[in-house]
Amino acid sequence: MEYRDYYKILGVARTATAEDIKKSYRRLARKYHPDVSKEKNAEEKFKEVQEAYEVLKDPEKRAAYDQLGSGWKSGQQFRPPPDWASGFEFRGGARPGGGGGAHAFEEEGFSDFFSSLFGGASPFATSPRQRQQAGRDHHARVDIDLEEAFGGGTRTLDLKRPELKTDGTVELRARTVRVTIPAGVTDGQLIRLAGQGEAAPGGGRTGDLYLELHIRPHRLFQLDGRDVTLTLPIAPWEAALGATVTVPTLGGTVEMQVPPGAQSGQKLRLRGRGLPGQPPGDAYVQLKIVLPPASSPEARALYEDMRAKLAGFDPRADLRR
Amino acid sequence: MSHEVEVHEVRLVGEADWIAAVDICRVCRIELDAVIELAELGLAALRGGSMQEWQFPAAALPRLAMAARLMRDLGVNASGAALAVELLETQRELERRIRHLERLTD
Repeated sequence: MEYRDYYKILGVARTATAEDIKKSYRRLARKYHPDVSKEKNAEEKFKEVQEAYEVLKDPEKRAAYDQLGSGWKSGQQFRPPPDWASGFEFRGGARPGGGGGAHAFEEEGFSDFFSSLFGGASPFATSPRQRQQAGRDHHARVDIDLEEAFGGGTRTLDLKRPELKTDGTVELRARTVRVTIPAGVTDGQLIRLAGQGEAAPGGGRTGDLYLELHIRPHRLFQLDGRDVTLTLPIAPWEAALGATVTVPTLGGTVEMQVPPGAQSGQKLRLRGRGLPGQPPGDAYVQLKIVLPPASSPEARALYEDMRAKLAGFDPRADLRR
Repeated sequence: MSHEVEVHEVRLVGEADWIAAVDICRVCRIELDAVIELAELGLAALRGGSMQEWQFPAAALPRLAMAARLMRDLGVNASGAALAVELLETQRELERRIRHLERLTD
């Protein structure tokens, strides 16, 4: 595994005070928090910052980490020394400063470096005694495509669940869960998987897993609840004279009538062609008139002919009212 | 060692569903007092006569979970988290509208 320089991650000196560390964490957490950040790899960065703060905010963990020495560099191959954490006293015989089981969930996604030093069977890890009797419900976000929201689908999720080992320690166990996503889910929709949250060490009620589904932006369709909107480019003569055009919808292509005299921005409705549901959403087709370029002598002549023959047309008449 | 679990039971949590306050606390990893404060700030409706009966609409879970994350990770208080959630939701809605308008003008 690779060594992690927690001081470098938080941008503080090894001599930094607890207050400096807290300030730096707050600044970086604000910058990379996945709920507010638009930075690239924000989630990954935020986890790094959280992991570094988890260690450096705690005097005992920080002291243990410092004991490794300052000769290491980020990314350097690392293995915990055999006498790791010996000589430390732990409050309550378990994780110092531990706030109970809540941390175990937060630590999901932390590096192997962290796990080898402070997780799993390490003396810093959460004691089973500190854990609650009932398993917690878990909450995870899943990004899906609009096509999956329309037609349903199967999604395989890699999750980690804290489990009690025979020696009394707790380890994060990787598992794969296959979830069937029903057709017609909307953005932000929750689905519940009963009994798929955290197991209760004492044999109590296993928690549930709530999945919050988020629909990725689509190349063609804009989603609003169950309704979808498609921007449909049409030629000026199709708008002026009316036309039958082929329109893509989530359920396949349909033929649609563009009425004569249609304008750019005008919306036409295809009832029931949005996301399935009770009632199903509608598909809206918003027209966008696209002008052919006057790039050939013939095209220029046509535009000049229009200018001459449609001289009474004033697109800016409303501005002079 | 990873093992595969086939899940057959998936339940859609609909708009008409309500979740017990205690379950909201478990999912969001937040104290009951903080959830109540977020509700009082208008982030979610609350029903039920006594603490044991308090429930929140399931649809409010994502915004309560976001508020809880902001409180836990950024150290903001309930008022700040509620304000941030509402501003973030407004920002996302405006971004969605901008994307839509850009398609018309591109």
